[in-house]
Amino acid sequence: MATKTLRDKYCIVGVGETEYSRGSGRTTRAMAVEAVRKAILDAGLRASDVDGMLDYQGGDSTFAPHVAPDLGIRLNFYMDVVGGGSSTEALVGLAMGAIETGMCNTVAIYRSMNGYSEFRIGGTGARAAQPVRGMDLAQVPFGMRSAGQTFAFTFMRHMHEYGTTSEQVAHVKVAHSKHASQNPKAVQKERVTVQDVVGSRWIVKPLHLLDCCLETDNATCLIVTSAERARDLRARPIYVMGVAGRVSKPRVDFHWAHGPISRVAGYYAKDIVFGQAGIRPEDVHVTGSYDAFTFTTMLQLEEYGFCKKGEGGAYVSSGIIELGGKRPNNTSGGHLCEGYTHGMSMVIENVRQLRGTVDDTCPGAAEGKHTHDYSVGKCRQVKDAEITMNLGWAMPATGSALIMRR
Amino acid sequence: MPQPVTYRGMALIVPDNDSEWKEYFAHARQHRLMLRACKACGLMRYPPTHACPWCMDLGWTWKEVSGRGTIYSYEVVHHAIQPGFKDATPYGVVLVELDEQRGQPTADEGLRIIGNLVKPDGVSFEDDTQVAIGKRVRVVFQDLAEHMALVQFALSDEAPPGHVWRLPE
Repeated sequence: MATKTLRDKYCIVGVGETEYSRGSGRTTRAMAVEAVRKAILDAGLRASDVDGMLDYQGGDSTFAPHVAPDLGIRLNFYMDVVGGGSSTEALVGLAMGAIETGMCNTVAIYRSMNGYSEFRIGGTGARAAQPVRGMDLAQVPFGMRSAGQTFAFTFMRHMHEYGTTSEQVAHVKVAHSKHASQNPKAVQKERVTVQDVVGSRWIVKPLHLLDCCLETDNATCLIVTSAERARDLRARPIYVMGVAGRVSKPRVDFHWAHGPISRVAGYYAKDIVFGQAGIRPEDVHVTGSYDAFTFTTMLQLEEYGFCKKGEGGAYVSSGIIELGGKRPNNTSGGHLCEGYTHGMSMVIENVRQLRGTVDDTCPGAAEGKHTHDYSVGKCRQVKDAEITMNLGWAMPATGSALIMRR
Repeated sequence: MPQPVTYRGMALIVPDNDSEWKEYFAHARQHRLMLRACKACGLMRYPPTHACPWCMDLGWTWKEVSGRGTIYSYEVVHHAIQPGFKDATPYGVVLVELDEQRGQPTADEGLRIIGNLVKPDGVSFEDDTQVAIGKRVRVVFQDLAEHMALVQFALSDEAPPGHVWRLPE
């Protein structure tokens, strides 16, 4: 069956974010308002041009019906979605669908979270001790509750089946820390070594502290509109070539219950997204493989076909994923080093890569003039980046993907 | 049924209308590991749900399994986030593939259950250095209340069927 596609008919025309911090000192509402406003201004739009809004959250944020009117935006469409990682790409697809049906014209998608100062992932203190009922009874009574604890079976089995090592995946942190050292926004700008990662304390074997992403307070926003509308706007339009949203393994709730657990959702998503885009992995110049953990980046890159299944460890430790390498991954530093936003920051970074206007310290960055000197504190713009791909991760069982071009 | 059952500082809540778990835990309290088997195709499943994931039939019966299996994957928690587990670190969580129905209905399938690797008393956690993929285990029951026991696993004295692997230190 031929893949249905809306390739090149929709664009991302605006991006915006607040600072990443460990203590914003304000509400998710205030942060969302700032990020949405910045994205609207980045697109060269006015509040009255935006008539659709989507957001995702896990009971930790402010809904669109509050954020939109705060900015004077009257909505023809909105939806507040439950979700974390892998939501961004899926909502870009839903925004395209909402516009395609005529429900609205231009959609702002945001994520706003006090992920450090209010709601930490997995819960701590009283939240970690809340009552356990329903399907949580299959895992939580055994001391398995946080994201790392829930995913670790997959990583451990992958190491067993394919010989993947801690040292190999540590290179993901090494690469992303190199990228973050060129990102003035990054919370963690220090470059680290493989030894720093494998020498850091255990969190849940096989994960060390530095295999785990940061937790931060932040809001992010993307603006989606039609290609026709995009042509008149301020920024260079970035075209959506393909999108796959929350593609899942046979059991979404218990990834470990069915099939080989070293397989992740990209196994199912790749044909959808590459089919729409009409390209192959080797055509992609920059990847944004979600780095909740070093392992998640590796697992997705191999599952989407950037290397053979089982060879992800060799791929991520080869230098390919570093700036200056053949196909850099998460050039902002990602969730391991820049800050944590449940995936949207990685799409924002790729939009800027395609525009040629990554916000590094190059004097002409805003005009797209870059040195391509990848030493500490310098450039992080990839030369002639034409196609990027984001691989969103919710958990081993669910993922989303987005291919964009300039 | 008296509510809730407290275990390691957690309130475990299995109300009378919990049509997935109530009988499963009651069977465990009788020290029997019972899974749901489809009345139409005969395949078992875990967790205990209301439809067959293989043929969508709604009919099921409880079927007892041996509780013997092999560790398919594992993790060792060093940084507990649940307050009741902080004094237990490092502790092993295991994914056990039961002997019954291995490789059915496809080569990649099996009945997998999560538990802690515990000592034969069913209560205290086994030393984390004992946890490894490929080791043989047997079910043990940790009684929590008159109507509820947790399903846990202890090392068995059987020889492992294949390669035993654990994360290099």
